[in-house]
Amino acid sequence: MKTILISAFVVVTATAAFSENQVATLRGKAPLAETYTAPTFPKVDNSDVRQVRNYPEQPPVIPHKIDGYQIDTKFNKCLDCHSRTAIEVSQAPMVSITHFMDRDSQFLASVSPRRYFCTQCHVPQAEGQPLLENTFVDVDQVLDYIKSNEGGGQ
Amino acid sequence: MRRLLSRMWWLLSKPATHLSLGFLTLGGFIMGVIFWGGFNTALELTNTEEFCTGCHEMRDNVFVELQSTVHYSNASGVRATCPDCHVPHAWSSKIARKMAASKEVYGKIFGTISTREKFEAKRLDLAQHEWARFEANDSLECRNCHSSESMDVTLQSKRASEAHERFLLTGEKTCISCHKGIAHELPDMSGAQEDHAQNSAVLQSYLKELEN
Amino acid sequence: MADFTRRDVIKAQAVAAAAAAAGVAVPASAQNLVTDADLTELNWSKAPCRFCGTGCSIMVATKAGRVVATHGDSKAEVNRGLNCVKGYFLSKIMYGEDRLTQPLLRKTNGVYDKEGEFTPVSWDEAFDIMAEKWKATLKEKGPKGIGMFGSGQWTVWEGYAASKLMKAGFRSNNIDPNARHCMASAVAGFMRTFGIDEPMGCYDDFENADAFVLWGSNMAEMHPILWTRIADRKFSHPHVKVAVLSTFKHRSFDLADIPMVFTPQTDLVLLNYIANYLIQNDAVNHDFVGKHVNFRLGNPDIGYGLRPEHPLEQAAENADKAGGSSEMTFEEFATYVEPYTLEYAAEMSGVPAERIEEMAKLYADPDTKVMSLWTMGVNQHTRGVWVNNMIYNIHLLTGKISTPGNSPFSLTGQPSACGTAREVGTFSHRLPADLLVANEEHRRFSEKIWKIPEGTIPGKVGAHAVLQNRLLKDSKINCYWVQVNNNMQAAPNMMEEGLPGYRNPDNFIVVSDAYPTVTAEAADLILPTAMWVEKEGAYGNAERRTQFWHQLVDAPGESMSDLWQLVEFSKRFTTDEVWDAELLEANPEFKGKTLYEVLYKNGQVDAFPIEEASPDNANHEAEAFGFYIQKGLFEEYAQFGRGHGHDLAPFDVYHKERGLRWPVVDGKETQWRFKEGSDPYAKPGSDYDFYGHPDGRARIFALPFEPAPEVPDEEYPYWLSTGRVLEHWHSGSMTQRVPELYKAVPDALCYMHPDDAKEQGLRRGSEVRVSSRRGEIITRIETKGRNKPPRGLVFVPWFDASQLINKVTLDATDPISKQTDFKKCAVKIEPVAG
Repeated sequence: MKTILISAFVVVTATAAFSENQVATLRGKAPLAETYTAPTFPKVDNSDVRQVRNYPEQPPVIPHKIDGYQIDTKFNKCLDCHSRTAIEVSQAPMVSITHFMDRDSQFLASVSPRRYFCTQCHVPQAEGQPLLENTFVDVDQVLDYIKSNEGGGQ
Repeated sequence: MRRLLSRMWWLLSKPATHLSLGFLTLGGFIMGVIFWGGFNTALELTNTEEFCTGCHEMRDNVFVELQSTVHYSNASGVRATCPDCHVPHAWSSKIARKMAASKEVYGKIFGTISTREKFEAKRLDLAQHEWARFEANDSLECRNCHSSESMDVTLQSKRASEAHERFLLTGEKTCISCHKGIAHELPDMSGAQEDHAQNSAVLQSYLKELEN
Repeated sequence: MADFTRRDVIKAQAVAAAAAAAGVAVPASAQNLVTDADLTELNWSKAPCRFCGTGCSIMVATKAGRVVATHGDSKAEVNRGLNCVKGYFLSKIMYGEDRLTQPLLRKTNGVYDKEGEFTPVSWDEAFDIMAEKWKATLKEKGPKGIGMFGSGQWTVWEGYAASKLMKAGFRSNNIDPNARHCMASAVAGFMRTFGIDEPMGCYDDFENADAFVLWGSNMAEMHPILWTRIADRKFSHPHVKVAVLSTFKHRSFDLADIPMVFTPQTDLVLLNYIANYLIQNDAVNHDFVGKHVNFRLGNPDIGYGLRPEHPLEQAAENADKAGGSSEMTFEEFATYVEPYTLEYAAEMSGVPAERIEEMAKLYADPDTKVMSLWTMGVNQHTRGVWVNNMIYNIHLLTGKISTPGNSPFSLTGQPSACGTAREVGTFSHRLPADLLVANEEHRRFSEKIWKIPEGTIPGKVGAHAVLQNRLLKDSKINCYWVQVNNNMQAAPNMMEEGLPGYRNPDNFIVVSDAYPTVTAEAADLILPTAMWVEKEGAYGNAERRTQFWHQLVDAPGESMSDLWQLVEFSKRFTTDEVWDAELLEANPEFKGKTLYEVLYKNGQVDAFPIEEASPDNANHEAEAFGFYIQKGLFEEYAQFGRGHGHDLAPFDVYHKERGLRWPVVDGKETQWRFKEGSDPYAKPGSDYDFYGHPDGRARIFALPFEPAPEVPDEEYPYWLSTGRVLEHWHSGSMTQRVPELYKAVPDALCYMHPDDAKEQGLRRGSEVRVSSRRGEIITRIETKGRNKPPRGLVFVPWFDASQLINKVTLDATDPISKQTDFKKCAVKIEPVAG
């Protein structure tokens, strides 16, 4: 207990002038020595509305909750709806054909076991705003710019 | 000894002379209530989460799995305990299920599922019994809480409402058809899918052709 | 000149593209699909992934100076087209809105002030104040007063340039990488058992093994692409078994045939039991053991790497001889492990006896090829070196090593923990290619390659990571430079050691980073830094594979690479200012030269003209210094290992290949080391040759079970384990800025057993204080999540900058490797009042 008090004292004196966090944007305003509060559990998007992908190779994010989904040696809950044979009933998107390819790019009779654990690439999304904006620009916007630039006759 | 027994028989067979009819009727009724009540209380005692999870087979396997699911804790705080789903509510079916449970007592005594490995080996078998029961009674235990009449599909997620409208409300499928594994881990389903495949008429005839 | 014109065009397009993103109106197309090849063709290049030690190869598409897409490289052996979710979002890691674009110095009223506000300054001003502080400290305290903390995320040449600057330039060994927190126990384990660092096997073992045993690694989340190879192997070949050991249940258990949750620290018991089982059941490969193995009795009671005045250190008999050992025989070893019976192992570990035995049988069966895998569960351990040694014991007793599928495999956490931290030797005790600063012969050899005077490199081992923080707090190190890592968030015991050290008024702290991290917040000067494909680079992954990439885009604003920063800074010092008179008197030709001239413009590093650099790519550093500096640094560095078992291919080869596994001899890479026919260094007729040790033999170590330094008690009743999550990498400074990854796992949580929660009056979502004897954080309880701890243990990930769990952890280290045990300390969990 004593050591905690002493170190706390050192920190307080050493950081007297920076009572508020200046640059560490991922931390909000709490100075490094403090923790104010922990955010509540965010709601997970369950809208089933598909999102635009940043580029075609991006694995689509999951627009629904997957709480308690079993994906283990016994069963794969995702394939319950997304397998080739399930989609007529489920009307869910079928697993991408790339998922039927083995390490040597040969198509197999079923989804390749290397793709078995879906959540290694596909993740659900919390509702609400990101912590920080990202200035990534997708290729369409880049192309639009190039075109408009050419059209403008440089 | 023999004399004692014959005397007791005499006493029991002799009509009552010193007790009023009222006393006897009332006494019989009270005793009936006590016995019946006792039976029922005992029955109800075996119908609780505590009783069901009293043995480690249930506690360490299916109960642990239940704990992280929506049937154990959820937004509204309504919990489904083991008997809510696994013991019929109607009296006669309940007694029948309880009698069938004597097999589970046997299993407990002989340790059929005494380790996780043994349980896993038997899981498909056990699950299929329950699924068959639910299929047969149109998921009665589900419907004790989730009736399709009181279900407002417009308040559900898009995916859920579409599926319910298509399959549940039309009666094409019953709850368990889609909601297997909602409260416990699913068994190794490769076995279950084989069974399913074997039911396919096309496959059957194809296999027969191969054999010939 | 043409190059500059082209680059100017690219730059202009990039700026314009950013403007496009901001919503410049665009004329509508006639058709809704772009088909013009000039527009649709993307410029694809390869680069290793920026994240973990797996070393996946990525294809990166650029258009108009921007990265527009990334995907797994189908030509790469490592990942064959796959990425994990982080890898798939690499395109966005450089574009967080708060990228640092100019140096920031704490100032009040226009002058530097330790308590001032971060104020933009020019690079000149930044280097001026740095040089002033460095010179003053060097004058007052000599080389031991300065320090540097680098990273397994440095490129090979950055780490090499930094190591040279510190060890040969400033003549200080106070340089250590964050790999100390990550791989140091693995390194010491290799050096003790084999006398040479890094795995003998390679990833091809995944397709050859019959059984996989995870000794403290949640590969499903931390090495997802290697996990796909295990899943592929297991599901495709039903005989394959997977055993998973951990102190809590996690996603890797989803693939386990033999799941084992053990009591913390009892991995030591389980491993000795297996050794005992092999001996008792006649499963020892006596032929192999007789020819290729020696037995050693390791020193017990070695302490816990705490400050020397700590009672635990005072009480430890061999705290100063932690790595010591003496000879013993096989029979003595057999007697030593005899007490480690199945009953004892089951009782100590809490794992059912039949599962432990089933695992032992995998190792015992001569027909089962076993791959053992481990990362932080083993390395971040106060007996981490021992556990490494003990895993090798089992493979050596059975001879299951260095052949396809038989592989004790130490996985790495960082993209270049092997390539930079280990092979380049950026540790405080190391020089390139496994050489040691404490070894005079090694120093002379290095000085010769570096063309510096004999006696320049100091022989005293410098301060390691944890010690650096202690010395900062104690005002022993006053000038400190941190590059490519977030050590305020990553290092243990932040409240007692890290933060007081950085904010100590005696100290000047410089942090180079692309983003304003928690460490940057604690610094006095922040230097904006180019990252990943904004510079030419090289990484080395866990299977000894060296991979290169070109600069593909420009860094924003005034950001500069770590390499540029290091080399540019060296120009501000002359030998007269940093070397003592004695050394200069003996070597007058060095008088008055700048460190830049001594270290980098030495006729070797500047030997390759800029024209040799790729004509299709920018190369900011080559342009800045006027020669192909990356190639020069690499070729000089490669001299250390060529002919010494660490051979690297010629520089240009790596720009073409999807990486090569060293030693690369006669243009051929090596898959399995120490095995004749596969390793060119294994002597003919030897069959196996463990040439790291002079006698060609590997060593089996007899080591005991010893308890952890801090175990749960009445006041602090829970074990705390920290770790990562799949969606975030390390401290989250890149991945938390990718919206999709942030939204996948926004906040850290305290994973707890539901019965423990209930007993404490807590529930899922309860706001709690997790506190130890050192510090506390506020977080929330999760009882249903992906991690399922047993009763008595909680898990908190460390990616979250707003919940700094390292305020709570203990700075106890393995006394041999000096690596922190982030997996064990005692905490209490209380509801936040109100």
